[in-house]
Amino acid sequence: MLQKKEISNKEMVEDTFTLIESNKHLNAFVTLNKEVSLKKAENLDNNPSNLPLAGIPIAQKDLFCTKDLRTTCGSNMLSNFIPPYSATVIENLESAGCISIGKTNMDEFAMGSSNETSFFGNVENPWGEGLVPGGSSGGSASAVAAGIVAAASGTDTGGSIRQPASLCGITGLKPTYGRISRWGMIAFASSLDQAGPMARTAEDCALMLNEMCSHDPKDTTSLDENIPDFTQNLNSSIKGMKIGLVKEFDLSKLDNDVVKVFEESKRHYESLGAEFIEISLPNISLSVPTYYVVAPAECSSNLSRFDGVKFGRRCENPKDLEDLYVRSRSEGFGDEVKRRILIGSYVLSAGFYDAYYKKAQQVRRLIKNDFVSAFEKVDVIMSPTTRGTAFKAGSMGSDPIQMYLEDLFTIPANLAGLPAMSVPNGIVDNKPVGMQLIGNFLEESKILQAAHSFQTSTDWHLKTPNGDIS
Amino acid sequence: MDKKTVRTIAHLSRLTFDEKNEEKITNDLNNIIKFVDQLNDAETSDIEPLTSPLEKVARTRPDNVTAENRKEAFLKNAPLSNEDYILVPRVVE
Repeated sequence: MLQKKEISNKEMVEDTFTLIESNKHLNAFVTLNKEVSLKKAENLDNNPSNLPLAGIPIAQKDLFCTKDLRTTCGSNMLSNFIPPYSATVIENLESAGCISIGKTNMDEFAMGSSNETSFFGNVENPWGEGLVPGGSSGGSASAVAAGIVAAASGTDTGGSIRQPASLCGITGLKPTYGRISRWGMIAFASSLDQAGPMARTAEDCALMLNEMCSHDPKDTTSLDENIPDFTQNLNSSIKGMKIGLVKEFDLSKLDNDVVKVFEESKRHYESLGAEFIEISLPNISLSVPTYYVVAPAECSSNLSRFDGVKFGRRCENPKDLEDLYVRSRSEGFGDEVKRRILIGSYVLSAGFYDAYYKKAQQVRRLIKNDFVSAFEKVDVIMSPTTRGTAFKAGSMGSDPIQMYLEDLFTIPANLAGLPAMSVPNGIVDNKPVGMQLIGNFLEESKILQAAHSFQTSTDWHLKTPNGDIS
Repeated sequence: MDKKTVRTIAHLSRLTFDEKNEEKITNDLNNIIKFVDQLNDAETSDIEPLTSPLEKVARTRPDNVTAENRKEAFLKNAPLSNEDYILVPRVVE
């Protein structure tokens, strides 16, 4: 519409803010960037631009530092933090013409799978009252699903893009570890964190990814690899593509209807000419336990920077420096964040390091090796994204492990550093279901191609809580 | 993990909580540790730990000055500061 000049940039941005207002009950946004966005849009109307994403309103997860725009990471600790610089990925998107219209709600420090740990309150899934959008990129997923924005940024440490994408019926991609710079992303678990796009379609994800990726000297883990045009192979036929099915994923424990949806998608891929091959990932069942050692360990180290001294929240009237540290942290962090810091400190402490941290890193290598062997036989690996559909807020009870198992299918790709995405593939009980496609290292194009061929021959990605998009 | 261990790791983490939460936190942590104990099922005696999926040596860059002095911008985020420094309670009497 923008290109055809059916609507001005300013009208587009104004409409977006109207939609934010009428969807206020979703609580998808923490901070809005209205004045700057309108100004940018007006500038674009006056000086039309050929930039690839010129004028496209984008919602940014509130985990990316945005210069002069409050960045909270969903935490009381950073409820007054205004970064003096922007994350590389934000700069990349804005240099491509995107307008960052606001910052989306999220689980505190990206720790959660339901967006119930945010200091700024739960986010609602537009598919039903009281339903969670998933997490941690819950605000981004909800905003795209509700049609407020065409695309949003997310981050994924153990499934935080793919799981909410699945629960909200949108498409989300976590690239290969290192594809997108982590500079300016507030760190949770540095060896697992990766940013990525969330949008309606695989094609839109590819367009976003083209701009988000870059080699960044400011991030030592940023890949110095050729960045292809991710849209190039979208329309190639998947005839002959070998899709792996993981023998060890026991689908009999899932909801019957969710399994039916998965089986239907398999048949659909067969009709498109793909071939299914059973593969074995013998150590995959240890992914969640491995993650819940590695991620808390890295988190306890990363979050030690929040000490109430240089930025972020400081307690009132500290009696000495120790008191300042302890009270600022205890008041600033929520329960789930504290829990993970404690687990991390425990597994890293003298006497337990070898039994837990080193052991988990060894198992992590076994899991990665399993994938390396599997990708000798197949092009992509397919599984459900989640165990079921969106659940009611509060329904997971007080046992944190139940929530941790929500990421059963998504965590392995983070441990191995592989690209993976979630694609809507059905509706069960009036709620969307997603399937996951995992690719080999640097092969985002291949999973995007598989997703695009699915989306050009089905309409699950066009279903919204307000009806189908034509 | 008993309450004493939990207090020790809470101290290491510079965190504190009220006594009424101590029981619940101890319980949660024990459950999580019991859950991750499954890792003992894996045979890992000759396996090199994997610290990062990239396994590349960190690159160095030339030691050139690239950052400018942005004292004011950074002091603006400090909870307490004077014109030049971030302030904390007195450490040395």
